[in-house]
Amino acid sequence: MNPTILLIEDDAQIRRFLRASLVTQGYELIEAGTGREGLALAASRVPDIVLLDLGLPDMEGLEVINQLRTWSGVAIIVLSARGQERDKVANLDAGADDYLTKPFGIGELLARMRVALRKTLPTEDNQPEPTFSLGQIKVDFERRLVFRGPEEVHLTPIEYKLLTVLIKHRGKVVTHRQLLKEVWGPSYIEQNPYLRIFILNLRRKLEADPTRPQYLLTEPGVGYRLRDE
Amino acid sequence: MQPEPTLGGAPPPTEQATLASRERLLVCLSPSPFSLPLIRATKRIAEAQGARWYALYVETPAHSRLSREDQELVSQALYLAAQLGGQAVKVSGFRIGDEILAFARDNRISKIFVGKPYERRWRRFLGLSLVDHLIWHCGLIDILVISGEGEEAVPGAPTALKGRRWLWEYLLAAGGVGLCTGLGCILFPYLALTNLAMIYLLTVVIISSFLRQGPAIFSSLFSVAAFAFFFVPHYYSFAVANTEYAITLVVMLVVSLLVSGLTTRVRHQARVSRQQERQTAALYEMSQNLTAIDSLEELLKVAAEQISTIFDSRVTILMPDSEEKLRIRAGHPFSDDDVREGMVAKWVFRHGHLAGAGTDTLPAVKGIYLPLLASQNIIGVLRLETNQPDRLLGADSLRLLEALGAQAALAISRENLSRQAQVARFQIEAEQMRNALLSSVSHDLRTPLTVIAGSASSLLEGENHLDGSTKQELAQTIYEEARRLDRLVHNLLEMSRLQSGEVKINLEWHVLEEVIGCALAQLDSQLQEHPVSISLPTDLPLVQIDALLLERVVINLLENAIKYTPAGTPVEISGRLQDKEIWVAVADRGPGLPAGQEERIFEKFYQLAPRSARGAGLGLTICRSIIEAHGGHIGAANRPGGGAVFSFTIPLVEGAPILDKVEKNLPDEPDHPAH
Repeated sequence: MNPTILLIEDDAQIRRFLRASLVTQGYELIEAGTGREGLALAASRVPDIVLLDLGLPDMEGLEVINQLRTWSGVAIIVLSARGQERDKVANLDAGADDYLTKPFGIGELLARMRVALRKTLPTEDNQPEPTFSLGQIKVDFERRLVFRGPEEVHLTPIEYKLLTVLIKHRGKVVTHRQLLKEVWGPSYIEQNPYLRIFILNLRRKLEADPTRPQYLLTEPGVGYRLRDE
Repeated sequence: MQPEPTLGGAPPPTEQATLASRERLLVCLSPSPFSLPLIRATKRIAEAQGARWYALYVETPAHSRLSREDQELVSQALYLAAQLGGQAVKVSGFRIGDEILAFARDNRISKIFVGKPYERRWRRFLGLSLVDHLIWHCGLIDILVISGEGEEAVPGAPTALKGRRWLWEYLLAAGGVGLCTGLGCILFPYLALTNLAMIYLLTVVIISSFLRQGPAIFSSLFSVAAFAFFFVPHYYSFAVANTEYAITLVVMLVVSLLVSGLTTRVRHQARVSRQQERQTAALYEMSQNLTAIDSLEELLKVAAEQISTIFDSRVTILMPDSEEKLRIRAGHPFSDDDVREGMVAKWVFRHGHLAGAGTDTLPAVKGIYLPLLASQNIIGVLRLETNQPDRLLGADSLRLLEALGAQAALAISRENLSRQAQVARFQIEAEQMRNALLSSVSHDLRTPLTVIAGSASSLLEGENHLDGSTKQELAQTIYEEARRLDRLVHNLLEMSRLQSGEVKINLEWHVLEEVIGCALAQLDSQLQEHPVSISLPTDLPLVQIDALLLERVVINLLENAIKYTPAGTPVEISGRLQDKEIWVAVADRGPGLPAGQEERIFEKFYQLAPRSARGAGLGLTICRSIIEAHGGHIGAANRPGGGAVFSFTIPLVEGAPILDKVEKNLPDEPDHPAH
């Protein structure tokens, strides 16, 4: 069965372009022009992914997310304009899974959707993988070893923890707050500068050119993302 | 003496009014309460005839002998005349009648109005009455005598204090002559009679140079009498032995009267010129001080201080705010316990008339309120409160105060005008900028839109005969142009947000390397044709910046380099720690900057070669706004060996988190939630 996508977007042109692209890609698309309509459809049709536009005429995107999250764990991808970094962070912290900044290419959208579906669709084996590899980087979870190419990289316990959290959410943006909470604990969620320093160190150990990272990507004003493929 | 207009309040009637009527009326003022109804009567007649009218007061040496109340009456009368639309004039002179007639002839007066005055019977009997004098000498001018409306016009009654002082002066004069007679008795055996007469004359000169005219005349009469009684034979009698002595006595009388008269005149002249000198000096100093100032606040402050010093008083300048409510703008704040003060200030502001202590309008308050008039508009109110609570300003001081007020008002309106001119200039500049923006933006928006529309329509229409690679190319073009459009719109929005102050700088500790990395990531596709090298020290401290704004700076500098340099040339990003700041540079190997344009390129909509490259010329302006908001500097220069280098600095802030501390502050073994 094809995954069902609920698109909540008031602009007809954007709906048209997404319809054309997504249907060709084999997704089943449901469209809603308002937040209320979208919530009703989310309840009746139970989609796999919700694509939510932030500039809805009837309600705030944050409110749609909050209402959805009271009864559904469906993957939510927010479509937002540039300059709304605070909104993005608020939406992600409220439970949205990822975001895309308009204008976006269809390739970016499809990649985000694949990551989001991985979370919701059952995979062949639900057991945690023993190893992870991404380009040059290889992680052996059982032995807590990290390799860059053939060489072993020595990470501090915190750096290792940071990397594993990013791997767990790979392909998906993780906000500063989420990272600090998952790595250090709930009492450290305001320590953004320290997080930046650790990311810098991790990049210096894992990236070929730490200034132009290939794996550990920065989402400006929002958080970090580990490249997925 | 030249007539001096005393009040700036009343504009002279326009030429049209004078053409309509040849009538020119003159009302003569005296230190009498009757002057006020006399002025009103004249004004009514002048209005009925459409005539221009003047109010004249002749200041004689006697003016200084008037009581303060009478002097006030004169200045009130002059104010009233000016307020009612007449031209108030004060001249100095000795003979009132002659001065009036001279003024009337000079100003082609057709009718003179005088009050029916109280005059001493003997003057009238001798034909010395002012009215008689005017009637005899007026020629073609009509003289109209107006009687008081039920009130007897009485010249200021001498007060008890004044009376005592007069008596004292006469006694002093008598004493002086007595002393001189005593001296004469001693010297009588040794001196000729004529020399004794000289001693008497000297005494008269001395007395008249210190005392007023009355005692001076008294002293000359008294000394002639004493001389005749004691020293002219027959002694101890007023009888004169022969005619020669009689001649001596007559000559002595005439000479001493003349001398006393001349001496008092000289004293009067000296007093008048001293006063004028004082006023001129005060006005000059004020105008000197006010011309040099170009801010309104400073100007008001200096004016208030200056007037305070001149009058030994506390001066406040009140001006209306945007809601037309009077507010203290400069000077000494006064207590608003007395609500009347504020009311008087408001009244003065509304009516433009002097009021307050020592004037005839609303005198029950502590301050004198002077309207500040500039080109017919009331722009504010000047309040003055003397430091001695019971001292009021005399008529002369009031005139000086008014002149100073007028000058301050002039300076204020000059300042206002120059500010208006500045605002107008800004508006013109803003207008020009809007036009530049419109033309630049419409060009920059249309170009990518044309490309997108053209490519898309090619794709639509050429569905069947376009080969795969052409389709791919067209689609790629559409995609890139759309991206460019997006960046342009973003820059425009950012610019207007920066300009409107809407952008709140969100300072946080950041790693510079990461910010530069983000900028590079955003320009990935454009940078493919330019090799980028980055050299940053690994030990740069964290900087306190708004990462999104700083990223914009780096993006704009990189885009600029891409825009103006040929494909294949390298772009170098470097940074270093210097002093108390971090220095970052983006350098290229393009054609460089034209000499002298290093600063201009940061101006809005400036482009090196208009139309040749894309973008609205906003990028560098945005960079400068952002860097300056961070307390840094941005600049551009040509590189040795060719190319341009754009560099900016970011000040370092104390207390940057450093890694060592991080390891200690954050538990290395993460604490796990209970489940």
